[in-house]
Amino acid sequence: MTTSANLLHRRQVVTLANHEIRRSLFSRRSLAVYLLVGMPLALMLLRALFMPESMRADATHATTEFAEVFHFFLLRFVVFFANAMIFVRLFRGEILEKSLHYTLLAPLPRTVLVFGKYLGGVLSASLILAITTTLTYVLVYLPHGSAGLQLLLSPSGIANLASYLLIVVLACFAYGALFMLAGLFFKNPMVPAIIFLGWETLTPFLPTFLKVLSFVHYLVSFAPVPVSLGAFALLARPVPWWIALVALFVSSAVLVFAASRVARRLEVTYSAD
Amino acid sequence: MSNTKIVFRDVSKFYGEVLGVNKVNLEVAPGLTGLVGPNGSGKSTLMHLMTGLLRPSRGEVSVLGVSPDSPEDLFRLVGYCTQYDNFPNGSTGLSFLLFALALHGYSKSEADERAWAALTRVGLTEAANRRIAGYSKGMRQRIKLAHAHCHDPQVLVLDEPLNGLDPMGRAEMIELFTELSKKGRHVIVSSHILHEVDVISDGVIMIHGGAIVAEGEIREVRGEITSHPIQVLVRCDRPRAVASRLFELEHIVEARIVEDDGLLVSTRDASDFFNKFNRIVIDTGVIVETVAPADESVHAVYDYLIGEGLGGGSA
Repeated sequence: MTTSANLLHRRQVVTLANHEIRRSLFSRRSLAVYLLVGMPLALMLLRALFMPESMRADATHATTEFAEVFHFFLLRFVVFFANAMIFVRLFRGEILEKSLHYTLLAPLPRTVLVFGKYLGGVLSASLILAITTTLTYVLVYLPHGSAGLQLLLSPSGIANLASYLLIVVLACFAYGALFMLAGLFFKNPMVPAIIFLGWETLTPFLPTFLKVLSFVHYLVSFAPVPVSLGAFALLARPVPWWIALVALFVSSAVLVFAASRVARRLEVTYSAD
Repeated sequence: MSNTKIVFRDVSKFYGEVLGVNKVNLEVAPGLTGLVGPNGSGKSTLMHLMTGLLRPSRGEVSVLGVSPDSPEDLFRLVGYCTQYDNFPNGSTGLSFLLFALALHGYSKSEADERAWAALTRVGLTEAANRRIAGYSKGMRQRIKLAHAHCHDPQVLVLDEPLNGLDPMGRAEMIELFTELSKKGRHVIVSSHILHEVDVISDGVIMIHGGAIVAEGEIREVRGEITSHPIQVLVRCDRPRAVASRLFELEHIVEARIVEDDGLLVSTRDASDFFNKFNRIVIDTGVIVETVAPADESVHAVYDYLIGEGLGGGSA
């Protein structure tokens, strides 16, 4: 590929990513995503308002409380479904809107189209979910007054937050690639999304050779605070962080590549969709 | 394949078990070409195949030597105004064009310049910053046309482009198409309104039930239909005198007096008719006002070929 073609493709990726960011952050359809990410914030606000005085005095539980909220609610529900909503819409949304053909009529390879949309999705999902995670984190510590604030701003508090944010961003890469592909394949991608959520939820109870087929297995490797997964969970040796990182990036890359292969065969037949 | 033509080689398209187009062989030269056929005949399928929005189930398509499988090369050459009346949510006329031009790789200033030029060409400068969702049907049609030609393509594919336009808008757009075709561009216009195509096209492609039934200049196509005599309308001061002489010719099937000194002649040999007609005029001394083919219209030809009326102007 020539340098000028490379430069053009980079500009096209940036244009597409910007377009997707605007659509993901400011369109009317983003409202559903904002309602979803508002749920943990609303819950933490309610918790802060109605927290008994005796609990307020003790900030030491906040760290494990957030870990539980993160594992069982933020990661497995909010991050999962927010990614589903954002990434499924990249293609399926435009097909339903009957406006995908305008992008397909542009002089750009379908690989560039897929990558540009994916990048836009990753950036907007990461932004929305990183802000949600940070605010939830702050709201867990805040009711504990100065002791909570001290813990929050301590080096370990900041390091923990950074680890959670890393998990969120990695989840956007991995789930994003999966849901973008699902949006290209399925007329109603929410059905496979719910099946996949079931799989991700069952992961702790699966034998190790099946655990490796889930994203959450790798994502929790970066969790700074371990949580109890219950008496029926099958314990597995934690995945080293670098293996988890490679596994997540490689699987995301494979899914994006698969999406670009599907996009190359993509036809505009709105009436059939 | 040809670098100057749009070529279809044995192209078929099936939607599952439903036939879209069948074994299409076509070569479209530069100029204004009308693609005519009733609704559901396969016009849009043919246009989608030309622009890679559909892939042929069989056969090969090439646009000026470029395969629709290479969108990065194809859409430098092609602009397509589809029949779809939908737009990206929240777009204004200007932002819609700027996004398309940015994807073409134009710089901000160049994209701005081209977008405004295209908006001016279709008469939408005042509505440029309004949301397309609030546009009238005619304005939406205009912005689609601006989108299709804002990058100055060599090939303009227009699916029912005059739908929804008022008479003034139609005239302006027809002027634009004619201007582009005179510059040597390919302008392919589909329509189910035959009169419209008749007025603007250099050549026609007639499609019915997914098959091409005729292609070429309308006069050539008409000349090839030997099953129907060619009709010529003669206006002169003494039509009866001309009619009596015409019946001496073997190939004259009918000569009917019509209103206002008209004589409608049906002949199986048009060239012999025109040769001998001159002699008749000299011999009889009639004063001839006009001699013109009466059924060299797309409508008549389509009727002869398909055997069903399409209507001259109904949607």
